[in-house]
Amino acid sequence: MTALILILITGVLALSAEIFNLKKVLYPLSILGILVALGLNFVEWHQPFSWKYSDNMVKFDNLALAFSSVLLVTVFLWFLMSKSYFNEETNLVEHTSLVLFSLIGAMLLVAFNNLVTLFLGVEILSIPLYVLAASNKKNILSNEAGFKYLIMGSFASGFLLFGIALMYGLAGSFDLFTITNALSTDKVPNFAYVGIIMILIALAFKVSIAPFHFWTPDVYEGSPVVITALMSTIVKTAVFVAIMKLFLWYFYPAYGHYVEIIAAMILISLVIANFSALRQNNVKRLLAFSSISHAAIMMLLIIADVRNASTVNALLYYTFAYSVASIAAFASIHFVTGGKEETLDTLKGLMYKHPFIGVSLLIALLSMAGIPVTAGFFAKYYVLNALLMSSYKWMIIAAILASILGVVYYLRIALKLFEVDKKQDNGIIALSTREVFLLGLSVLLLIVVGIYPDIIANTFLK
Amino acid sequence: MAYILLGIVLLPLLGSIINGLLGKKLSKSNVATIASGSIGLSFVLSIIAFIQLQSAENRVINVDYYKWVVSGMLDVPMGFWLDSLSSLYILVITGVGFLIHVYSIGYMHEDDGFSRYFSYLNLFVFFMLMLVLGNSYVTMFVGWEGVGLCSYLLIGFWFKNHAYNDAAKKAFIMNRIGDLGFILGMALLFITYGSLNYADLNKPGAITYTSATTAIALLLFLGATGKSAQIPLYTWLPDAMAGPTPVSALIHAATMVTAGIYMVVRSNAIYSLSETASLVVGIVGGVTALWAAIIATLQFDIKKILAYSTVSQLGLMFLGLGANAYSSSVFHVITHAFFKALLFLGAGSVIHAMGGEQDIRKMGGLSKKIPTTYLTMLIATIAISGIPPFSGFFSKDEILAHVYEYNKGLWALGVIASMLTAFYMFRMLFLTFWGYFRGGSELYKHLHESPSVMTIPLMILAVLSVIGGLLGLPELIGAKNWIGHYLDNVILIKTYLGLSHSIEWMLMGIAVAGAVASIYFAYQLFVINGVLPVEDEAELKWWQKIIYHKFYVDELYDFIIRRPIDFLGKVVDRFFEKMVFNGINDSISSITLFLGEWIRKIHIGNIAYYIMAMTISIIVILSMIK
Repeated sequence: MTALILILITGVLALSAEIFNLKKVLYPLSILGILVALGLNFVEWHQPFSWKYSDNMVKFDNLALAFSSVLLVTVFLWFLMSKSYFNEETNLVEHTSLVLFSLIGAMLLVAFNNLVTLFLGVEILSIPLYVLAASNKKNILSNEAGFKYLIMGSFASGFLLFGIALMYGLAGSFDLFTITNALSTDKVPNFAYVGIIMILIALAFKVSIAPFHFWTPDVYEGSPVVITALMSTIVKTAVFVAIMKLFLWYFYPAYGHYVEIIAAMILISLVIANFSALRQNNVKRLLAFSSISHAAIMMLLIIADVRNASTVNALLYYTFAYSVASIAAFASIHFVTGGKEETLDTLKGLMYKHPFIGVSLLIALLSMAGIPVTAGFFAKYYVLNALLMSSYKWMIIAAILASILGVVYYLRIALKLFEVDKKQDNGIIALSTREVFLLGLSVLLLIVVGIYPDIIANTFLK
Repeated sequence: MAYILLGIVLLPLLGSIINGLLGKKLSKSNVATIASGSIGLSFVLSIIAFIQLQSAENRVINVDYYKWVVSGMLDVPMGFWLDSLSSLYILVITGVGFLIHVYSIGYMHEDDGFSRYFSYLNLFVFFMLMLVLGNSYVTMFVGWEGVGLCSYLLIGFWFKNHAYNDAAKKAFIMNRIGDLGFILGMALLFITYGSLNYADLNKPGAITYTSATTAIALLLFLGATGKSAQIPLYTWLPDAMAGPTPVSALIHAATMVTAGIYMVVRSNAIYSLSETASLVVGIVGGVTALWAAIIATLQFDIKKILAYSTVSQLGLMFLGLGANAYSSSVFHVITHAFFKALLFLGAGSVIHAMGGEQDIRKMGGLSKKIPTTYLTMLIATIAISGIPPFSGFFSKDEILAHVYEYNKGLWALGVIASMLTAFYMFRMLFLTFWGYFRGGSELYKHLHESPSVMTIPLMILAVLSVIGGLLGLPELIGAKNWIGHYLDNVILIKTYLGLSHSIEWMLMGIAVAGAVASIYFAYQLFVINGVLPVEDEAELKWWQKIIYHKFYVDELYDFIIRRPIDFLGKVVDRFFEKMVFNGINDSISSITLFLGEWIRKIHIGNIAYYIMAMTISIIVILSMIK
């Protein structure tokens, strides 16, 4: 809880930096705030905090602490990657504070205990991102991305609100504990199920599960690379915790009414995402489809119907592995393209031009593809392992077939790295110490966690 | 103790890594010091381990370092098992290994791959120690595969020669066939007895006779026929002589090829329980002993003769194992390691002097030019021929006495093989060192004794070949047979020598008389009558041709195994691979790519369209609610 408050203070400080002319310390201040918040999370471990004065609106238990730590690590890595984004004199303050506020929304989403905080979390997470997506003001694509994201996001928010209203109609309260009890009774009115589905639709939109994923490729492509990296990591982590809490715990009495719908959505996502990615030539668009595919795999945890610590562990491991690999991949692409267009051909011959970035990108891709030694392997393994005991065993085969297609398009990028570039014009890419540290740290994390998965996968004991 | 064992095994690995990674940058003397030094230290530690073992409870030390494989019922630790058997083996491996490393410094001095050679050789010693020290069959298998790899690397050491590469591949493939048996045997062993760890299997009553016992024993023995070059998988060993001669001495005579013996002795309870398996082992061993001995009588390549001699001697050891005379076979492993290593190193010294020539038809009269080599090889030849009181006599005699008690037919095979051994060994000795030089005057001037770095190991091994018999003097002459008693606690089910003294004396007499007669016959033939091997193959009689061509076994294997497989491969390649599978694969990939292109296009970037698609989806989903 103190971490959340600290980030809020940092954000407000960032906003006022312009007034006090403190622009230069803004960047180190943000990083410091994040690191201290991360430390506070460790201090508070095993000391659950409940906001009793506001009707148990948020609950900072171990689950919230663990996932908010993943968020903080992600944003820490993100800041290391995005220094150039803060180099422009204009809008510096807004950029910093919007990112931090978005992070607050994400942290609320892993700690909510009430449908009001859920809505607040989703909106605080999303609204800064609408603005950030359009932050490359001179680029028409960036403007388009922000606008599209805003319109379709509002559409989804409407559904979320509608669903929450229906749940209030059921229980007469926003408190999730009360709602669970109301769902457990014999006579549950049908509109309650409609409400649950509407909340599901809204959250599926946020994590880009098909058929609510349409915004993803366009917004990922149009936004600045660094913002795409932020969107694809913290949004997924935060909203998936919310999905897990709602659909495996709080709404569980109604499980039979929505599990098939989720299964169908996963299947459609796997097909659309993996097939669409095969022929993409824009790296950001390709990674957008890859993120849809990853979301579908994480969603499998819901239909696996394992309601114990192992599911939480699996999600924690997956979000961590996916976030770190994403940051490493987007960072590599960002360093290579430097804001220019991100087609596959810009990565040509990277292994020879800059082997360090090449190897980092390669390992990030291998982790996303789920190749052993990297963290991505165990991430997938835990999810599929959970499915083994469920009634959706056949979904394992679908997921593995999808992963095979995944290997095709990840290796398509990897292959480009080894191609000899005939035009020797791209010049030399010089990395700063910070950037080397970022890539090195990400790759190290991916491999260490891939070899000793227990470091993370044993966080919550059975 | 845990650290001593770890040091014994890891020092050679360390040497291998250093020489493998930095060898090119180090000077030759540094490379040699690191390689020989690591084995030498390992030998010293082995002696310490051996001494400490004597005071250990039950003379067994079992150290687990960490859990290695845990899967269901299977629980394999990474750890070492030092007992009477493995303590003897590590002494031989590191001791003889050290001498051969030292010898190699001289032998390989001019070679470009000096550091690569020592890196491989150290790696081999590491794996061999893993093989004998591992405390489960799985760890043994790691060493088993590892020594196979090193054998492959060293046979093909001069990889620019295509024939040598073929020989390396042949060795590897033949061994893989055996390994398949080993793996299956191991699996069946696990299913039947529930564990692969020696600690569990050595508990009293852990191994009882079941219907699977014979199958386990035979499958494991298939592994042994590969590694220890027995019929039907022996053909790789003679070809393995393509490697540098010290390699032949260490790997293909003294240590690796005796791994099969080690494995059978380690599994002695299983073999003792299954009479069928024991009989098969005995027959295969006996027939191999005779078969290889016959082939050896008509070979001209000095290393090939020794190679067949090794196959024959290994056959003799398996003959002993078949008679359940485990300690006798181990005894012969040790004495054989001494004199066979000496013979190979001596042959290396001869080849060194002859400037690379290996054909004994071009030698002769070398005793005056290279007297040290001659004397040491003479000692080894007497030892292998079984003349008392040299070491080979005692170990061979002990095996034959047990086999006589077990089965008289097999005993006859062993005796004939021994007589042939004496004959072909002295044939080699006479043709090489006696008479006059046949290699031309140019080469004659070039002849020189090897440097002392090579001859000193020869002398040490010669001493060991003479006195090695002390390890197991028979009880017949009032001695204690130390090795027999020492190995007592390893042999779970014991068989005792129950022959009367008169029969034992008689057997000894027959063996010695046979050997002396063979030597005399060889002397008559090659010294008195001066018979020389023919230069041209056409002059051979028809039966000599068959023997000279090794009974055409390679050709037979080629015809009944390789050609059908080649044919099958071509059919599968032309029809299934190129037409069926490629066709299916190509169409799958084009369909996938087509779908990819098509599905990709549904994301056209129009918001109205997107929202319409989402709305339709929502309507469908809401109508799905139960």
